[in-house]
Amino acid sequence: MKVIICGAGQVGWQIARHLSGENNDVTVVDNNPELVRRATDTLDVQGIAGFASYPDVLERAGARDADMVIAATHSDEVNMVTCQVAHSVFAVQRKIARLRAQTYLDPAYSDLYRRDHLPIDVVISPEKEVAEAALQRLAAPAAFDTESFLEGRAQLLGIIIDEDCPVINTPLRQLTDLFSTLRAIVVGIRRDGALFVPSPGDQIFPDDECYIFTVTEDMTRTLEIFGKTQSKQERIVIVGAGNVGLGVAKALEARTERVRVRIIERDREAAENAADSLDRTIVLHGDGLDSALLEEANIGTADAVLAVTDDDKTNLLTSVRAKEMGCPMAITLINDPTLIPLMGPLDIDAYINPRAVTVSSILRHIRHGRVRGVYSIGDAEAEVIEAQVLGTSPIAGKRVRDVSFPEGMLIGAIMKEGKVVRPKGDTRIEEGDVIAIFAMSEDVPEVERLLQVSIDFF
Amino acid sequence: MTWILRLPFTVVLMGLGAIAMLVPAAHGAVMEDFTTMRIFFYGFILFSFLTLLIGLATSGYNPKSVSRSQLLGLLFAFSVLPLMFALPFYVAVGNTTFLNAWFEMVSCFTTTGASVYDNAGRLTPSLHLWRALIGWLGGLLIWVTAVSIFAPMNLGGFEVRATAAAGRAGPNSYAQISRIADPSERLVRFTLMLTPIYAGLTAMLWIGLVVAGEFPYIALTHAMSTLSTSGVSAIGGLYYAASGFWGELLILGFFAFALSRLTFTKGLTGEDGQSLRRDPEFLTALFLILGVTFLLFLRHFLGATDQGTGATFGDILAALWGSLFTITSFLTTTGFESHYWDGAQFWSGLETPGLFLIGMALIGGGVATTAGGVKLLRIYALYRHGERELDRLLLPSSVGGGGKDARRIRKQGAFISWVFFMLFAISIAAVMLLLSLTGVQFETAMVLAVSALSTTGPLASVAAEAPISYAGIPDSAKVILAFAMVLGRLEALAIIALFNPEIWQR
Repeated sequence: MKVIICGAGQVGWQIARHLSGENNDVTVVDNNPELVRRATDTLDVQGIAGFASYPDVLERAGARDADMVIAATHSDEVNMVTCQVAHSVFAVQRKIARLRAQTYLDPAYSDLYRRDHLPIDVVISPEKEVAEAALQRLAAPAAFDTESFLEGRAQLLGIIIDEDCPVINTPLRQLTDLFSTLRAIVVGIRRDGALFVPSPGDQIFPDDECYIFTVTEDMTRTLEIFGKTQSKQERIVIVGAGNVGLGVAKALEARTERVRVRIIERDREAAENAADSLDRTIVLHGDGLDSALLEEANIGTADAVLAVTDDDKTNLLTSVRAKEMGCPMAITLINDPTLIPLMGPLDIDAYINPRAVTVSSILRHIRHGRVRGVYSIGDAEAEVIEAQVLGTSPIAGKRVRDVSFPEGMLIGAIMKEGKVVRPKGDTRIEEGDVIAIFAMSEDVPEVERLLQVSIDFF
Repeated sequence: MTWILRLPFTVVLMGLGAIAMLVPAAHGAVMEDFTTMRIFFYGFILFSFLTLLIGLATSGYNPKSVSRSQLLGLLFAFSVLPLMFALPFYVAVGNTTFLNAWFEMVSCFTTTGASVYDNAGRLTPSLHLWRALIGWLGGLLIWVTAVSIFAPMNLGGFEVRATAAAGRAGPNSYAQISRIADPSERLVRFTLMLTPIYAGLTAMLWIGLVVAGEFPYIALTHAMSTLSTSGVSAIGGLYYAASGFWGELLILGFFAFALSRLTFTKGLTGEDGQSLRRDPEFLTALFLILGVTFLLFLRHFLGATDQGTGATFGDILAALWGSLFTITSFLTTTGFESHYWDGAQFWSGLETPGLFLIGMALIGGGVATTAGGVKLLRIYALYRHGERELDRLLLPSSVGGGGKDARRIRKQGAFISWVFFMLFAISIAAVMLLLSLTGVQFETAMVLAVSALSTTGPLASVAAEAPISYAGIPDSAKVILAFAMVLGRLEALAIIALFNPEIWQR
């Protein structure tokens, strides 16, 4: 597939990296030659320097035979015009635009993106999705990674197993028998840095990072069984009032139960902007690393700190300082995946990787067909794919135990006519079911073959 | 018509003042008071002629700074023009000094309404009409000049919200702005825009009062003095007004025009169309009126319970109404006393809490209205600032919300409000000191100083323990008070702005 990505910044580069890794013909366009060079030097992509919305630039980038344009520059308006040009001049089939301004995302105006108005097929808004991811982390403070699937009826939880976990050193098969009513399944384990899909005979050891698929109603019980307690989050300190921090604070303010939020922001203008748009939240101006300021934010009595500035190191250090000052939980935004192994030694409870979130949201739209959701795990080591089973699929109508699944994949949950069931050996997969599959990256093409999705698109 | 534009502001005002003399002349003719008619008509001829001469002499006048010339013109208008108004008045009254006549006219023109003629019957109806008319014209002058002169210079209360420093116009550094409208054009435009509103509202109130049972001529003077907040009355206040409760109710409604500029105009100075319901001035006024009325009522209520005096439900309601009306009237610096104000006193046996009224008059009404005092917007800015500082005691690095405008009001707005407040306080102290030098007693001096600076003349007869008579104070004190009224009307900042080098040298 030929894809043109406009904007080689953080988001554009990450999308390019992911798509070029899947044997797509990717061209990156940016008006900053430095960024284009960075992309072409590090990735298997072509680069064009120039304004993305200019027709001649798009033509040089090969828009005439491109299948998709992803407009991810900083400016909403440039992204819109790029999509319009790609549609009107080059008749590009699929157009994805990143829009940040809230008013463009307002559902009341979604009519704007119709084909005869402003032809954008998919609007992505990474900051909003990162904010949602942060909220999910807050909702499940015991887990380091969470994502919801099957219309919110199933959750993927990433849990670090403690020494006092009641289910350690027990084969998974036995756990299934012990808790027969619990609709949860362990789909992946990371041990000593390596991620693998467990087989029924495997055991869980302390310090393992487990990925567990659970039905949403059973989430609390699942966490209890794995030795985690859910606590209420009433006082939250957010460091960084950018789009992400502000989005989280707004969402928390909109909740019916009272959550006390304090935001720390270093930039005066951003702080004033945050103070203007928030009602009950207290905005503090200063450096989040400053212990006096954290004291002022009452970090000692806070339930969680959320470090979401644009600087990874600041986020890490702020989280460490907050934990040292008595905050029981720290959630950190990390752009650089190589910093993720530091979480353990630094005692940071959870992280948000905007790249994973963004890429997930893009992949969801690229893997069109019947794939409804894709979530990228870790450093693109595995994916959770949510898809509807087609009648032509080789797995349709078969029992789970009869399908020859590759080794690196597991079915996490099946939704049959709106009801989520835990897959067992004799569960029959039928046409129209929605299944959530955990698959290692190398097995993703095989999963796509099983789902008969690739014919649609690849 | 364009030649009028080129005349100095003061000459235009003089001409208008001369024409205004036709009104009492006509009234005198109708009332068959031909002496008064003749005097005012001769006044009209004399001063029109004078104006014509001065107009011819100054037709080539081309000031270096039009805004400064207008500001000076305003100062001239409030201090010297009353000399002209006083001349026919002095002659018509006959048995008075010219100083008293001048004091009377300054007091009317600055919408203060302090009168040296305690006995209302000493003046003929035409002369009362002349007093009310001068007050009414003074109010109109304030309406027009606030928007056309003070607003572009960020004075008169506009400095609280302004981005530029007080006394200076905003930055004109945009290359596209190749022409700036001449201040006199603005003056003419706003005069044409606001005069019909002002006159129309007055006419409405007049008709309303007549319907409520008032004599037409008294209704007119009351309507004029309500709109201009001068408090001039031909019958010594509302106590003897024939319109009674319904008349007071009507007047209370029209006090709203002195509480916030938004009640009669919107968007004149390029501000975004705020609604009255969210206007800080109006809300502050409502809060103050209701709060103080409640406090006063509570005081009387407790007093009445203590004394055990029997009071009917009607008495209580009357006392409540009396407090509400009088408080509002003094907040707008009009100074009408409700007929029922004394009822509260009789009911509880407690004396009149004059200090409350002094406080209300000090606070004053809205920016760019006819009201005087410190102005509600400044009080609001100081309140917001104080509230924010309290927050900052708890959280020193917190950032206040509410938008750019709110932040500016809390910071620069509160600062300039504080400066103004201090200037006002110093003015009170200075005027009190000067009055004391002329031999006026301390308490009397205080009440007189506040009533002059806040342009609430009737305060003198209500706020002090024993009513103070303007007739009884020395002549030198009258002169001091007259200048205090001008200072209170123009606001100290505007006079200080005259010394602003940027305006002075250009």
